[in-house]
Amino acid sequence: MATDEARRPTPFERLYAYLDAPNRRHTVHVIIILLLIVTPFIANQYTTVILTNALLYVVLCLGLNIVVGYAGLLDLGYAAFFAVGAYTIGILTQQFGVNFWLAIPFAIVAAAVAGVVIGAPTLRLRSDYLAIVTLGFGEIVRFTARNLEITGGASGLFAIPEPSLFGWRIDSASDFFYVFAVLAVLAYIASQRLYHSRLGRAWLYVRHDEDAAEAMGIDRVRTKLSAYIIGAIFGAMGGIFFSVNLGAISPESFSFEQSVMILLAVVLGGMGKIPGVILGAFIIVLGPELLRDLDSLRLLVFAVLLLLIMLFRPSGIWPDKRS
Amino acid sequence: MRNIITTVASAVALNVAIGSVAMAQSDAITIGVQLPTTGSEATYGIDMLNAIQLAADEINASGGVLGKQIELSPADAACDPQQSVNAASMLASQNVVGVVGGYCSGATQPTLNTYGDANIPFVIIAANSTKLIPANPGNAFMINSTGDYQAETAVDFFESQGVESLAIINQGDAYSQDLASLTRDEWKAAGHEIASFDVVNKGEQDFSAVVSKIKNSNADAVFWTAYYADGALLIRQLRQRGYQGVIAVGDGSTSSKLFEIAGRAAEGVYAFANPIPAFLPGAQDFNIQYESEYGRAPGPYAPLSYDGLQLMAWAIEKAGSTDSDAIQQALSSAGGMEWLTGPISFTEDNTLARSNFIVLEGKGGEWTRHEQ
Amino acid sequence: MSFFDSFFQQLINGLVLGSFYALVALGYTMVFGVIKLLNFAHGDFYMAGAFVGFGALSLVSGALGAGWMGIFVAMLLAMMAIGCLGVVIERIAYHPMLNAPRLSILITALAVSLVLQNAALALTGGQYTAFSTDIGFGGFEVGNLFISHNQIILVATAAVLMIALELGVSRTMYGRAMRAVSIDKDMCRMMGINVAGVIAVTFFIGSSLAAAAGTMAGAYYGSIWYFMGFLIGLKAFTAAVIGGIGSIPGAMLGGLILGLLESFGTNIEFIGSEWKDVFTFAILILVLVFKPTGLLGKSEVERM
Repeated sequence: MATDEARRPTPFERLYAYLDAPNRRHTVHVIIILLLIVTPFIANQYTTVILTNALLYVVLCLGLNIVVGYAGLLDLGYAAFFAVGAYTIGILTQQFGVNFWLAIPFAIVAAAVAGVVIGAPTLRLRSDYLAIVTLGFGEIVRFTARNLEITGGASGLFAIPEPSLFGWRIDSASDFFYVFAVLAVLAYIASQRLYHSRLGRAWLYVRHDEDAAEAMGIDRVRTKLSAYIIGAIFGAMGGIFFSVNLGAISPESFSFEQSVMILLAVVLGGMGKIPGVILGAFIIVLGPELLRDLDSLRLLVFAVLLLLIMLFRPSGIWPDKRS
Repeated sequence: MRNIITTVASAVALNVAIGSVAMAQSDAITIGVQLPTTGSEATYGIDMLNAIQLAADEINASGGVLGKQIELSPADAACDPQQSVNAASMLASQNVVGVVGGYCSGATQPTLNTYGDANIPFVIIAANSTKLIPANPGNAFMINSTGDYQAETAVDFFESQGVESLAIINQGDAYSQDLASLTRDEWKAAGHEIASFDVVNKGEQDFSAVVSKIKNSNADAVFWTAYYADGALLIRQLRQRGYQGVIAVGDGSTSSKLFEIAGRAAEGVYAFANPIPAFLPGAQDFNIQYESEYGRAPGPYAPLSYDGLQLMAWAIEKAGSTDSDAIQQALSSAGGMEWLTGPISFTEDNTLARSNFIVLEGKGGEWTRHEQ
Repeated sequence: MSFFDSFFQQLINGLVLGSFYALVALGYTMVFGVIKLLNFAHGDFYMAGAFVGFGALSLVSGALGAGWMGIFVAMLLAMMAIGCLGVVIERIAYHPMLNAPRLSILITALAVSLVLQNAALALTGGQYTAFSTDIGFGGFEVGNLFISHNQIILVATAAVLMIALELGVSRTMYGRAMRAVSIDKDMCRMMGINVAGVIAVTFFIGSSLAAAAGTMAGAYYGSIWYFMGFLIGLKAFTAAVIGGIGSIPGAMLGGLILGLLESFGTNIEFIGSEWKDVFTFAILILVLVFKPTGLLGKSEVERM
């Protein structure tokens, strides 16, 4: 928000500026890596499982952040990419016996194709129409998964084999915690690189003024499509490991609500701001878990909290200055 | 990423909290309850949780199990696979003695691994998709008859009514789709005709398009394989449009609520059900007690839920300890006893050893037993 | 039954269903018109309207009976109550966000929707409530076609509400102000138009239309529950966009088209009810590819 520049920084802003300072960054990175390494040793199974889930959400949210936060394209069907990744792995490994690691490239290609399929017809649309087209696409994917035999119908696929890596069988809760920690770190690095890249600046231009961007020689179509494709690949990576982690996938995991929750996390945390998005992912996953004692009231309380956060931090908890 | 610090801090706090809860309960026997108590399936989950609570109160009032009180630890599964796994691992981390629950088949499936790895005995109350059977690592016991039994009952019944062409409608979820396709396959194998095979989405209220389609197809009978709330709307709209054929519903629809919503349209509707309270002497008391406790009629899975906890308590008592293997052994050996919903014993697959399905008929605003 | 019978029967089915979609879509489109918000909580006004209408009916049924007479009075009461709820929610949740990024207010609407759904879940204990009325099942039989009295009343009521709205928007001062606000808020302020007031009235009307649809749906279908707004909210959103979001005639058209698509989709042999939603969304995407602002929407330049 432009008007913020003049007034004194709020405590939030001071804290963020403190954490964002380049000289402190490495320290923070090292602390986080250490925490990621020791967590499975100090946490019980439940905590490990929900933190793993939070890390999955970090990957998904960083992916959606590229579409929504960087390129400014509203997407209400992001769970579709997540589904494409999960189902490709499920079908190839469980039904055709393909090795998990060999199946990954197929899942990524499938997601990229899905990114183009959804991206191409929507390039001319303004954001509200984009919202419904992406929503429609997400629903089409979910209904297709529900109706087809090869995807196991409404029951989905189960007994998806757990992968092994050089003889290390990835199967316990802490194994998957490390897998998702690595994925989240990779997603973080990729997001960081993209943000500062040529493409990242092109997204910024296109987001702010499409016509001007085009006049400056930025290929609008390529720029937007690349956001969809890269976002789709992040989503698929999440889906790939989600499917082997749960060992069973069904259409319920890829509903509109799932897409909405991912979007909620991104906007709540702070669109375009990587640490903000990560924070959002953690809030969305851990919030309802921390409120479990309230039982059937937990979502009500959580929703009220979300509403309050949005009212007090309209641009998200940790907004991006560059927007 | 830095925010992980705070999250981990809170997670550690959570650990401590859970740890202290477990400590406080060390003189009680904690049983986990995995059911959807939020989201679109909360209607059924809350109802089942109520019945389980009723069973727990009864057990505790008569001295508990192994001389200890039973403490329930409810974990909301929200009918979502990931949420269910979260719930299951929470229960596993609390070192619960056993778990009862399981409503949505699709969401119950991935939790089988969690309980399997933790070796926790799991009594699955309602979820009865046949897809659960091969995924069971051996510690789960299904006390609801599986879909194939119900499909058999349905096919026998429709044949006895002289039905030739059958219209089947499901709701696109794991349970009702499983039952619908099993019935379709058996019906075709018996040499009959499928008039139509339709899906309506959860939450849709207007079934007129499907109703017109069924009327056009001249189906002799309609089989609704999903739950009562939407089933009631379908029955209403079918009768409203003047459909004269046989209407039958699956076990998810055998609630007295069906009559409240569908009104007189539900007269003469048939249902395939696990024996519901109305026909079992002990269950009358259950009905009355449930109503007086919660101010409403028990739902279709309330008696099974009650039995689920009673069975678990019985198994712990029989095992003589809270040792998981001993409890599972006791569960496998279950038999010869009469529960609210009838005798319970298990096959080698840990599924209910008999078809517990009976045919009911709606008469005078309630379910009565249909004698074939 | 002949092809034509079946065609006309599906036409009737589609019209009834479409009327509900259209009524809810109108609120979506009106709110979008004035504050450019996709109000994802709108479906929950429909749900809340159904519950209030149910409560109101049990109050008035003593005096008026539980037939259509009583239902209409209950519907009006529900429209008032939910209209006010809409205004209050706008003041609390949306008004402070008007200058925030577009997506933030969208997320706020999603949070409001979650709050309303879960509040209703808590209040009803998750129970389905039977909405019992005295409306009969009678109707006209024309050859193989069947039209119930209730269907005629529903479509007629929806039509009356929509015509009244269209007249209100095109003929009255408020309508003119509303259209002006949807074009340029700042200019309106300078011209002395009470922008906040116009927004409040728009929310009132939009929410009360959803409440009208909710009460009628409850009475017609016979049951209500806490989650009933979710799916129709999505459908109404779809309908509003097909028609061209921000366009009032567009919402009506979109609602009817969606109702018809779903009815026919179910009955076309190679689609069937399983694939009906895929079919509907595919048509929707096709429409938007060829007409990027919906059927009746105006094209305009917009930045996020």
